[in-house]
Amino acid sequence: MQNKMKESDPILEVENLSASTDNLPILKGVSLTVYPGEIHAIMGRNGCGKSTLSKIIAGHPSYNITNGDIKFLGASINSLEPEERAQSGIFLGFQYPIEIPGVSNLEFLRVSTNARRKFLNKEELDTFDFEELVKEKLELVKMDHAFLSRSVNQGFSGGEKKRNEILQMALLEPKIAILDETDSGLDIDALRIVASGIKKISNTQTGIILITHYQRLLDEIEPNYVHVMSDGQIIKTGESNLALELEKKGYEWTDNFIKNTK
Amino acid sequence: MEIIEKIKTNKSIDNLTEIQKFCLDKLESTPLPNPKSEQWRLANKSKLSNFLDYSVNEKNPKFDTPFPNTSQSNIRLVIGDNCLINVIEENYSIKQLSEDKLVKYIKEQISCFNQNENWSELLNLSLNSRKNTLGLKINGSEIPPIEIFSHASSNSLNAKTLVIFLEKNCDIDLLQVNLGKDNSSLSQSTFFCLEENSSVNHGVVSYGENKSNLLNSLNVIQQKNSEYNLGSLHFKFNYARFEIRIKQSEGNAKTNIKGMQITKKDEQISTYTKIDFNGPNGFLDQINKSLADDKSHAIFEGSIIVPKIAQKTDASQLSRNLLLSNLAQIDTKPQLEIIADDVKCKHGATISQLNEEELFYMRTRGITLPEASKLQLSSYFQEITSFIPVSKDRWDLLDKLLNEN
Repeated sequence: MQNKMKESDPILEVENLSASTDNLPILKGVSLTVYPGEIHAIMGRNGCGKSTLSKIIAGHPSYNITNGDIKFLGASINSLEPEERAQSGIFLGFQYPIEIPGVSNLEFLRVSTNARRKFLNKEELDTFDFEELVKEKLELVKMDHAFLSRSVNQGFSGGEKKRNEILQMALLEPKIAILDETDSGLDIDALRIVASGIKKISNTQTGIILITHYQRLLDEIEPNYVHVMSDGQIIKTGESNLALELEKKGYEWTDNFIKNTK
Repeated sequence: MEIIEKIKTNKSIDNLTEIQKFCLDKLESTPLPNPKSEQWRLANKSKLSNFLDYSVNEKNPKFDTPFPNTSQSNIRLVIGDNCLINVIEENYSIKQLSEDKLVKYIKEQISCFNQNENWSELLNLSLNSRKNTLGLKINGSEIPPIEIFSHASSNSLNAKTLVIFLEKNCDIDLLQVNLGKDNSSLSQSTFFCLEENSSVNHGVVSYGENKSNLLNSLNVIQQKNSEYNLGSLHFKFNYARFEIRIKQSEGNAKTNIKGMQITKKDEQISTYTKIDFNGPNGFLDQINKSLADDKSHAIFEGSIIVPKIAQKTDASQLSRNLLLSNLAQIDTKPQLEIIADDVKCKHGATISQLNEEELFYMRTRGITLPEASKLQLSSYFQEITSFIPVSKDRWDLLDKLLNEN
């Protein structure tokens, strides 16, 4: 299914990627291709390497790529710094967004947005123009303006932190967004707000990778492809009904699948 | 003994005052502090000796006004610049302390000195004659913010002394700025007496240039119901030592301290504090931050003394430190000496590096590593710089720190 011919070039190509941290192999040959307009979901047990894959694509310095390649818009990004990847249009939505005491959310968002705009050869925004832009984006995630004057994520509830991630995604307008368990810790209403925000931001030119444990996010955002990861590998890829099957049969089903393929 | 000879034979000093003679006598028996004593064991010997190397200069060095310029809403005083002030307004007055009262007060202080612990003050008072001493008596309310400058000129050892009496019910914002020039040593001693119900927001900002040194001592006596808030910042010195001694003479007083020292290259900056509760219901909230980079050394030693008379004391002392290089060194020792049995006292220390996960988070938003580090440092600095009075509106201290670190 991943090999079928597409009309445009892929946004992201992960080719046979192996990676380790502290000499401990985590990813063991992951391949994944995302074309514009596609939504991919990655599911799997805790510790199977889902979050590691997302951090490696974003350039986390604690991981070493031992084999394979990551290509973004046709060029290898293995040697790029995290900020260079972000500026060029890769966005990682964190499972646990980091609190940064003392750094105002507004200033943080403005500096980030301007870094991306500079890369896109767009004019950088001063505080006043940025406030106008952010006001419009706040609507998408139904966030109160008061969040901007607080420190980044400090004292935010779980749902507020995730909405702040989607706000950042809306401001940065990435080519590809990898959302690591964005649905965890959200109540039903917050999940709908976040999902609706993601849908409004995504378009035919962007790609989205949703890392999740649950069908409930996929009920809101239907993926084109679902990948199941186990022990650092993608062991099965299917369409959206694969997630439903997985929810029904549990991960033991994938364990049996591995046994049978060995 | 060399320093004593240097003072006695110095031609820039016209006649030794009574206090100078008295302090010199004391220094004869302790020409240098005991390097094995708790207060001085971590002091870099060669840097301390470098402090004393420069020629003693009693004459007024030329003062280059630092930024920002004088503002009409502030009172600016420069110690040593034939500084005279006598302001009497409807709501307040700032008067020069009379010679008699000044000498009497300093003598009283000296009588309580421990030769090792108060070596910095003894040196200061030995070096300093009347013209580099400023004594003020402040009274009233709605007093404009006051800025007081001390400075040392290049290739000189200069000493400045400040004595301030804050009378009953008086309330002020005071910023002291200590400036070091290239290859200079500044000895600054400040004596602060807060009478009943008085309150001060006191800022101490000290920064040097290449190879400047500073010995800065601050002695505060708080009478009951007084409030003393200190925000301090020391950076860019080859060698600097900030000694804070606060005595709540009858308890029932409030003290808040937020201080920070920043070291780079091979600098050594240390802060020593001694808070003495001499009565019940005293309050202290203290945080001291150090940031050490390159091969530098930052030191904090704090002691809180709570004798039996100081029941119901509520004191907290926290030392937070950031180590930015593998070769930098931070020594920290917050400590409590408690004899009273009904008190609430806590102390603690942390040493960490810049938070890697915070940095990664910012970098995934396109913020470069230097910018992300700057944002993190700005949040680290802000807690202290926002507590420094007078400066926060007019002095871009945060920018200055971020651009120099």
